[in-house]
Amino acid sequence: MQVFVNEKKIEVDDKSNIEQLLLRLGKPLQGCAIAVNQEVINRSAWRKYKLVEGDEISLFQAIAGG
Amino acid sequence: MLSDAETLRYSRHLLLEEVSESGQNKLKKANVLIIGMGGLGSPAAMYLGAAGIGSLVLADFDCLEVSNLQRQIGYSVDGVGENKAELMKQRVQALNPEIKVRTIVQKMNKSQLLMELMLTDLVLDCTDNMKTRQMINSACVEAKRPLIIGAAIRMEGQLMFFDHQQADTPCYHCLFPSHEEQALNCSNSGIVGPVVGTIGTLQALEAIKHIVGLPSGIKNKMKLFDGKSLDWQTFAISKDPQCAVCGDNQSAGIR
Repeated sequence: MQVFVNEKKIEVDDKSNIEQLLLRLGKPLQGCAIAVNQEVINRSAWRKYKLVEGDEISLFQAIAGG
Repeated sequence: MLSDAETLRYSRHLLLEEVSESGQNKLKKANVLIIGMGGLGSPAAMYLGAAGIGSLVLADFDCLEVSNLQRQIGYSVDGVGENKAELMKQRVQALNPEIKVRTIVQKMNKSQLLMELMLTDLVLDCTDNMKTRQMINSACVEAKRPLIIGAAIRMEGQLMFFDHQQADTPCYHCLFPSHEEQALNCSNSGIVGPVVGTIGTLQALEAIKHIVGLPSGIKNKMKLFDGKSLDWQTFAISKDPQCAVCGDNQSAGIR
């Protein structure tokens, strides 16, 4: 199925969860936050959160500067 | 009650239905703690001082460096080498002698911060590192103090507001649970001045709105600012029941 990650189309296995998506993208599990369709998914829910076709996923990093 | 001098000074607030005299009196009674007097804290402290926050507490243990002047607009060359909270106090008092400004110039640990929070209605996190951000979050959850968080790097900004006086409010740790994660900061990544200034300015706006009793559009949300496109993205944040700071089974306090 296809999902969008930061507006780019990505092919992932059906019923992938967020952890699997991050592994597929080669992203480290630490240091970033994930939102699906503008809702942040808490890290404790990454493994059980199943993506669906067309989901808009936003990946962003904690920034600390100020 | 406002004095004649205050009525004149704040006349542009008094003209606004959203502030008016009752709002100005609330600003006058407010105690606001701003932690970090850098690129976020500079505009935040000056706008809140100008707005007539009755008691401002400015915290920073750092001294001004020449490399700060590219974005930390409250300072001048004369101040290099001096403590930033002290310099900002002078700046804000010169701008508005009607208000009280106090400084905290030593690095606070969590118990010192918790003591400060007893005297504070609202906290602005204008700091520059993850460890301090996590400590401020944890203390504000514990003391139930509203927390307005700003952060900026390169050409991006982040803005969040967690009102810990309200039940079921998520926290910074729900969003970024690891305080050891590699977070980017201005020293390792660079920053454009107006980007960090925009975020600090909006922290001040949210503070004024909160104090006068206007609803905030960013509570329990993360606003991401792209300084290249000027686009904003908005993400809803929900409470993580397993959060170590605000969740059902708070495992350990983060220091």
